[in-house]
Amino acid sequence: MTASSELTMTGEEMKESAAIEQESAAGAEPGGAGLRAVPGSEKDGRADGSGTDGAAPGELRADCIADSAGGLTFDLTAPQGTAVAWSAALVLRLRGGDGADDEVRLPLGPNGAGRLRAVLPSTVALAEGRWNAYADLGDGRDPRRLLPGVNDLRSLVDRRPLAGVGRLGVRIPYATKFGNLALRSWLRGPHAEAGDLLVAPDGVTVTGRLYGAVPAAGARAEARARRTPGPDGEPDTVSVPLTVEGPDFTFTLPYEELAGRWESGSEPWDLWLRPAEGARPVRIARLLDDVADKKQVFSYPALAVPCGATQVRVGPYYTLDNDLAVRVAGPAGD
Amino acid sequence: MHISFLIHNAYGIGGTIRTTFNLAGTLAERHDVEIVSVLRHRDAPVFDLGPRVALRHLVDLRESGPSGDGADPAHARPAKVFPAAEGRYGQYSELTDRRIAQHLRRTEADVVVGTRPGLNVHIARQTRRGPVRVGQEHLTLDSHSRALKLALRGAYPRLDAVTTVTEADALAYRRTLRLPGVRVEAVPNSVPAPGLPPADGSGKWVVAAGRLARVKRYDVLIQAFAQVVAERPDWRLRIYGGGAEKADLRALITELGLYNHVFLMGPASPLESEWAKGSIAAVSSSLESFGMTIVEAMRCGLPVVATDCPHGPGEIITDGVDGTLVPVGDPGALAGGLLTLINDDAARTRMGAAALASSARFDPGRIAGRYEALFGELLARRRASRLRGSLHRARGALLSGAYATKDAARAALRGVRTA
Repeated sequence: MTASSELTMTGEEMKESAAIEQESAAGAEPGGAGLRAVPGSEKDGRADGSGTDGAAPGELRADCIADSAGGLTFDLTAPQGTAVAWSAALVLRLRGGDGADDEVRLPLGPNGAGRLRAVLPSTVALAEGRWNAYADLGDGRDPRRLLPGVNDLRSLVDRRPLAGVGRLGVRIPYATKFGNLALRSWLRGPHAEAGDLLVAPDGVTVTGRLYGAVPAAGARAEARARRTPGPDGEPDTVSVPLTVEGPDFTFTLPYEELAGRWESGSEPWDLWLRPAEGARPVRIARLLDDVADKKQVFSYPALAVPCGATQVRVGPYYTLDNDLAVRVAGPAGD
Repeated sequence: MHISFLIHNAYGIGGTIRTTFNLAGTLAERHDVEIVSVLRHRDAPVFDLGPRVALRHLVDLRESGPSGDGADPAHARPAKVFPAAEGRYGQYSELTDRRIAQHLRRTEADVVVGTRPGLNVHIARQTRRGPVRVGQEHLTLDSHSRALKLALRGAYPRLDAVTTVTEADALAYRRTLRLPGVRVEAVPNSVPAPGLPPADGSGKWVVAAGRLARVKRYDVLIQAFAQVVAERPDWRLRIYGGGAEKADLRALITELGLYNHVFLMGPASPLESEWAKGSIAAVSSSLESFGMTIVEAMRCGLPVVATDCPHGPGEIITDGVDGTLVPVGDPGALAGGLLTLINDDAARTRMGAAALASSARFDPGRIAGRYEALFGELLARRRASRLRGSLHRARGALLSGAYATKDAARAALRGVRTA
C-alpha cells in the first residue's frame, strides 16, 4: 500500500499541498515504525506504542528540542558498538526535491555519554515543504531513517516573534504516517499569521498579525476563488478593507458575497492580505505554534447561507499547508 | 527470585501490557524475569521490553506461524478452565486450557503472576505445588459481572496474594470476596520519569488526555471550560486522544462557540511532551480504575484538577496540596477548581512542584520494590513453614470447593455459567 492510496483526498485538496505525504512504503521499517498504524492504538490518547525508553536494535531515535527563534536541536543515542566518524551528519532531504539545496547536512558530534547532537540554527533556511530526517554515521552505510523520540516543542506553543522580522522560518518536527521523523518547514516574508476566527451568520472575522511588512493605506484582504479563472485569466476575487492597529489586523469576509458567486460543488477560496495599495499579496496562514497539521485540530463551523433559491454552506478551514481558506459548498457537495 | 508473568497477549497494545513490561523490566535488574504470553499474533511486541526480560508464547496465531496453532481443532473448542464470564473468553479454547496447564505444571519459577482474572483462575487451579501464586487485578472488582465474581470467589482462595491498583479496590476484594489466608494488597501502577524537564507553569494551557469515551466525561470538561473562558479568555484547553465521542464533542465545542479555545488534538505519543506544554491538567472522568494520566501529568510537574470519582484519583491527589478534587459531573465545580489555579500563579507553581515531588512514589523503581518485598515475604512464608503453607493450600482448596459448590448451585438457579 502506498502513502497516496491511504490518503482519502479530493483532487482539490491534493492541489493544496506541493508535497503531501509522498513517502515511499519502503519507509516503513519492519518491527518498528511500520507497526504504528495498528487499529485500536488510540487508547488512552496515545497514538501508538512507541516508548521513549530505548529503541530496538538498529533503530535510531532522535529527541528534538525547539527554541523560540526557530532553531532545532537533535539528540540521538549513538548505536552501541558503532564508531561514529568525524564526517557523521544528520541529513535532511526535501520530499520531492532533487536539487542541490534539497539536502542539508548538519554535523553530528558527540554530546556526553553515548549521545550525539546536531543543531539546525534558525539562520539556516529550509525551503517550504516536508523534510525527511536521516542519520549518516559516516560508516560508509546509507544514511538511516530516523524515528521520532521525545519532541520538546513547548517553546513553539505560543510563539510570538518580533513583528519586524524580515523573513520568518518555521520548522515543526512531526511523525509521518509511517512513524518516521520529518520536519514541516515554512519560509515566508512577509507573513500574515491568522489568530482567532469568529464565525457569524454574516461572515467570518479574522484577526491576525503581519510580520515583515507594515500595513499601510489601501491595505485589504482578498479571497480568491481557486476554481479555474474566467477568460481574463484573473481569479474571481472578493476584496474587503483591513482594520489595523500596529502589526495587528482584523477584517470580516462577508459570506453573502461568496455565496452569491457560487457556481457548483465545493468551491474553496484562498485568503490573502495586501499590506498596501499595489503591494505583493501575502498568504494568510497559521504557522506560529507546535501543531504541524492544523486541518484536523483547528475546526470551525460551516454556516448555511442563502444563495438564490437554494442554500450553500460556508466555513473557514486550514489547508494541508496550514493556509487559511473558506469553503463554499452546495447542497450536493460535502 | 525467578518471576514469571502470565499475560493474555504481550504482542498487543494496552495499559496492562505497558504496565507489565515496565514492572518486568525493572524487576529484571535484580531477578530472573520472564513474560509468558498466552497468545501471539505478530512477530515482535509493539512496546519495548528491553533486553533483560525473556518473552515466550504458548499459542501461536500468526498466519505464517510455524505451529499452525490457529488451525488446531482444539482451538475451535470452547475453554473449560478459563471462566466463561471473563471478557476474553471468546479468545480462549481447549488448546489454551491445555497449553496454560502444561506451562503451570512445569514452571520453574518461584513466583507466578497472573495479569487478568481468567489467567489468575488458571494460576490458582493449575500451578504445581511450590511457586507463590499471585493474581493481579488491573481493573476493579466492581467492574466484573456477577458471574465472573462467583468464578473468582471459587478459585482465588488458592492464590497466595491478590494485588489491586487502588486501596479502594483492595477493600472491595477483602469485603466482597472474603479470601481468608490470601493477602490482598494495593500496589499502584508505575510511571517512569519523563524524558524532558517539567512544565514551568507559565503557559496558559489546560491539558487533558484519554480516550474520547463517555466515561471520561469530556462533555463536562468542555462545559466547565466555557465558564473558564468567560472569566479568563486568555486560557485554552487541549484534549489529546481519539475515540467514538469525537463528533459529539466537536459539536459541543461549536455549539458553545469555543472553537478558538478548546482543541481536540487527536492521539499523541509520547504524551509527556504534551503535558509539558500545559500548566494545569484536567480529569473529568466518572470512573478511573487507577488514573494513569493523573500520575503522568504530575510527573511532568502539573497540578491536576480531577473529579473525585472511584477509584484512583483520591488516592493519587492530596486535595489542595498537589492537586484539586472536585465532585463528579459538576461543570461548575470543575470550572471553579480550574479558575482557582488559573487566577493564582503562586498556588499553581507551588502545587505543580508538590505534584512533581509526590508523584515520585510511582517511579518504576519504587513500585517494583513493593512487588519485590511482597513476593519476598510470600516466598519466605512458604519456605519457613511448608506445613503452614500446605495447610493454607488445603484450606484454600476446601474453601474453593465449598464456594464453588454453593455458587454453582446459585448459578444453576439463575442459569449462568460459572466455568
